[in-house]
Amino acid sequence: MASIHTRGLVKKYGSLTVLHGLDLEIPDHELVVLVGPSGCGKSTLLRVLAGLEAIDEGDLFIGEDRVNDIPAAKRDIAMVFQDYALYPHMTVRQNMAFALEMRGMARGEIKERVEKAAALLAIEPYLDRRPKALSGGQRQRVAMGRAIVRNPRVFLFDEPLSNLDARLRTQVRAEIKTLSQQLRTTMVFVTHDQVEAMTMADRIVVMKSGVIQQVGSPEDVYETPANLFVAGFIGSPSMNFFPASVENDGLKLADGRTVAVGDRVQAAATAHRGKPLILGVRPEHFRVAPDAAGALSVEITLVEPLGSDTLIHFKVGDAEAIARVEPDLRPKVGDVIALAPSPEKAHLFEEKSGALIC
Amino acid sequence: MSHTVASNRWTGALNIFLLVLAGVVSLTPMAWMVLSSFKASFEVTAYPPTVIFSPTLENYATLWERTPFLHYAFNSMVVTVSSTALGIILGAPAAFVASWTRVTWPAVLTLAARMAPGTLFLLPWYIMFRQFDMIGSYWALILTHAVITMPIVIWVLLPFFDNIPRSIYEAAQVDGCSPLRIFFRIGLPLVAGGLAVSSILAFVFSWNFFLFALVLSNSDTKTLIAASFNFIGEGSTNWGALMAAATLIALPPLVLAIVVQRWLISGLTLGAVKG
Repeated sequence: MASIHTRGLVKKYGSLTVLHGLDLEIPDHELVVLVGPSGCGKSTLLRVLAGLEAIDEGDLFIGEDRVNDIPAAKRDIAMVFQDYALYPHMTVRQNMAFALEMRGMARGEIKERVEKAAALLAIEPYLDRRPKALSGGQRQRVAMGRAIVRNPRVFLFDEPLSNLDARLRTQVRAEIKTLSQQLRTTMVFVTHDQVEAMTMADRIVVMKSGVIQQVGSPEDVYETPANLFVAGFIGSPSMNFFPASVENDGLKLADGRTVAVGDRVQAAATAHRGKPLILGVRPEHFRVAPDAAGALSVEITLVEPLGSDTLIHFKVGDAEAIARVEPDLRPKVGDVIALAPSPEKAHLFEEKSGALIC
Repeated sequence: MSHTVASNRWTGALNIFLLVLAGVVSLTPMAWMVLSSFKASFEVTAYPPTVIFSPTLENYATLWERTPFLHYAFNSMVVTVSSTALGIILGAPAAFVASWTRVTWPAVLTLAARMAPGTLFLLPWYIMFRQFDMIGSYWALILTHAVITMPIVIWVLLPFFDNIPRSIYEAAQVDGCSPLRIFFRIGLPLVAGGLAVSSILAFVFSWNFFLFALVLSNSDTKTLIAASFNFIGEGSTNWGALMAAATLIALPPLVLAIVVQRWLISGLTLGAVKG
């Protein structure tokens, strides 16, 4: 078990810089999720941590050790790959025992560890099968078992749920989280799925174009996103963004209408008078208003009933927007409805830099 | 629907016709060779050729009496097995590294060496081996035949290694394997089919290679294929004995190919196609 610490980490492929001087602190025992869109550098960062990619600049510490020049084989980390990367010519038992054999562990202890990990993951019946005789979910467990038996300092997961169907993904997601609580080992998990990130992480690292945008707990990044990118990436459906300017009694939107946003946002907006601003409201932070005063009177263009709640689509100027409402409202396409942003939950961003104002 | 069925039938018939044609073209010389080896001397070159004749073992007896056939066979076996083994020992790691690093120019270079006419190497090799007093030694033949076997091994194994997902190698790295261990514990077992295919092909090519054995061997180390040249004289050629020798020479690769033909074909297609 160990913490991970990067300082000014740079990774380049030829002239292309993929990681731009990352400073990141991952404390011991934490489950940290690296999340971001394709090409943001999250998998590259994981591979750098694993020792599968060389570091061009900066430092990487695992525990107290600077591991820049230490090969993957000697970093004492375990990794679960996206395609599981099980050895096809070995049985499940041999797959799980392989890393221990490489370390010269006694046979008795190997047997004991493999059986203990197999029991933990409920894969005992498959120990003498080859990977090709297993389902996707079983292979996924074996890949985790192969990592667990080693009792490594750090676990790395590279999008291990992406090949599973939706039901199994939810199940395995919960299992990994339970496992992290049982094993109390530092885990770094890569995903492009923000739901996975939110549900599993102790802390989330949001990345874009090789730069860390925000590090925080799931609640932090959801409630206080550092910028427009994080605000748009975290949350499903995404936060709605409305270009706005300051008026005395609220914010004036692009279509000329004024919306009341409460004292907190209004004060912040007034402090930025004259600058182009973006009002950000999550779909679940609209409330249905009794009348149109200070609210947005909108025409519903699409209704998506989800059972527990209903998503309604509408337009403000040219901007498409979504609100989450109670299913009992039974909205219909073409209905006109008054929606008001929750004053406590609405956000304001600088349009130019994208930075959060409040 | 009926159009498709008719079309399939025609395609099937065409396939069978082409297979029969290919079979006839490739098997006729072999049948001729085998039949001729059982004919009396005057019948071997008779025109028109006789198909119905009284078989005789006269040519095989001549072969046995006039040449140390078993000794030559032993020489062939030593040179072929050793050069095949050397080709695998050098070629398998080379293919693994070329696949791992994705640097294939050295492999292309070995292929170029293989494609160059053998006569190109003969003179420098002759001078070099004479310098080391190795002319007529098994080692001269084994080393030169490795130039034939190694490129075969490399080029057959390359697609097999390429087909192994990179993440498997990376998993082995993370599991604590050195590159050498990855080669022996992960790479080699996963290309076992390719190893069998390349061994057989290398064996056949080395067994049948004539030129180097003709120049670099002596009477003690002469291989079967070079020794069979003795039956071609300046004035006359003992075709019957030559055909008997050729039949016996063709036997080991033929038996080998028949025994492993399923593996050979599936191995070749696997290495080439599987993504």
